Amino acid sequence: MRGDRTEIEGEAARWVERMSRAAQDSETAAEFDRWIAGDPRHVESYARLAAIWQSPDLYQALREVSAPSRPRNDNDDPRRHGEDGDKPRARAERSAHFAPFGLALRPRLLVPLAASLLGLALLVPLALGLLAPETHYATPRGQDRSVLLTDGTRIRLSGGTRLSVRLTPWSRTVIMERGEAFFDVAHERIRRFSVDTGSASVTVLGTAFDIDLLAGNGREIRVYRGLVSVAADNGEWRLPAGTRLIVAGGQAHSFHDVRESRPDWIDGWYDAQDTPLARLIEHINRTTAQPIQLSDPSLGELRITGRFRTGKPREMLDTLAAIHGLQWQEADGHYSLSR
Amino acid sequence: MLPNSETLPVEGEQDQQGRNWNEVHTRLVRYLRARGARNDIAEDIAQETLTRLITISRSQAIGSLFALGFRIADNLLIDQHRDESRHAGAPEEDWLSDAPSPDRVLDSRRAVDVFHRCLRRMPPLRREVLIRRRMRQESHRAIGEALSLSTKAVEKHITRGLIDLRRAMEKAGIDLAGWD
Repeated sequence: MRGDRTEIEGEAARWVERMSRAAQDSETAAEFDRWIAGDPRHVESYARLAAIWQSPDLYQALREVSAPSRPRNDNDDPRRHGEDGDKPRARAERSAHFAPFGLALRPRLLVPLAASLLGLALLVPLALGLLAPETHYATPRGQDRSVLLTDGTRIRLSGGTRLSVRLTPWSRTVIMERGEAFFDVAHERIRRFSVDTGSASVTVLGTAFDIDLLAGNGREIRVYRGLVSVAADNGEWRLPAGTRLIVAGGQAHSFHDVRESRPDWIDGWYDAQDTPLARLIEHINRTTAQPIQLSDPSLGELRITGRFRTGKPREMLDTLAAIHGLQWQEADGHYSLSR
Repeated sequence: MLPNSETLPVEGEQDQQGRNWNEVHTRLVRYLRARGARNDIAEDIAQETLTRLITISRSQAIGSLFALGFRIADNLLIDQHRDESRHAGAPEEDWLSDAPSPDRVLDSRRAVDVFHRCLRRMPPLRREVLIRRRMRQESHRAIGEALSLSTKAVEKHITRGLIDLRRAMEKAGIDLAGWD
């Protein structure tokens, strides 16, 4: 029976791997159901392998083998971080992820904005800047919009977003009032590009980044390319590509988990990773004409993990309802989610 | 917690789509047992899961009945663990958090050690794929691009790695599921 067992285990591992993906096509789904139904040993093997794959212990072990064994200075030679036999590329990658998950921002990263740049900003004659025309852009809920500025910068506005742009010969300024936008900034050596969000401002020369204005004055910035400077009431940070910074309520946290070349929402997805329900809904509501409301605000603290298609509120509500035992209904131009 | 018996199918009954709910129920119980639920709890959760599945299937098409069923069952099982640790007077903490309740710490630390050793012993490329997939949640495509691998090769590394990990646990005599 040993050969048999090995075979089942191999199949089960393949299924755990396939089912861990964001979405499966209907054919794969049907095949999975047939496989599970086919033999009682299948479900058992699947369950045990899934338990390993989802285990927090595995996560912990991966963290340990991927991080340097002792806390070290990030400026250490990255080659010393890897283990023997590692591929050079893997090593380089690894050293770039020295704070793999949710660590508070290290003081080392708190590099103040170069004083020279500040000096330059102060020299700009404000009056002349005011003469340049200001262009307003806004999107209704459920509708994206892509804007190409005259300098070649591209701004992608998510639904429910409002911002204004002013380009002068020496400055490029955006004032962002609400929503979320992805900026692909045309590189210029002198003319800086800055986005003012009220509680934080982001300054660059040329890069790609996303700004998300959260409820309660929180700000989330993701850097996809280049280097970004962020100034908020409680400090200034320089963020390299691959970094995500959340500034909220006098606190700042950085994460090194930006790996795509542009935000998920542009492709119509939202990835929730232990995300509070309120935040997930804030996002989904930008992409739908009819907003979702929580019947009980405390529901907003429910933690959600999963990948959701934006612009499909019913689909998301069905999933949430099924998994967390909630209920939803449609009434007076909105969806209401309750326990 | 127990579903209304009138909404449950009788023995061997199939619905219009030819679904045999009885069989789904049997598999769910087996799944839950293998994930470490006690017999009575596995039965309760399987019933509740089945009720939800039937309700959903009446209003919409379900891709994979088992995939959705397992997700629902997982969540109910986690709730169950939470409730139990609360009743036992343990500090309130997430079952999935990095800080398990004290009685689980020992086993958990051993499991981490076994995983750790196994990961160190496996080919570096396979380990790297696992780190990217499980820890950093990268897509297959992104991993393939970063490591110059085909999507098929990425899949294979994950599958093999998973089996390596399972064998290591078995050899060490640790059953992850056997938590209660």
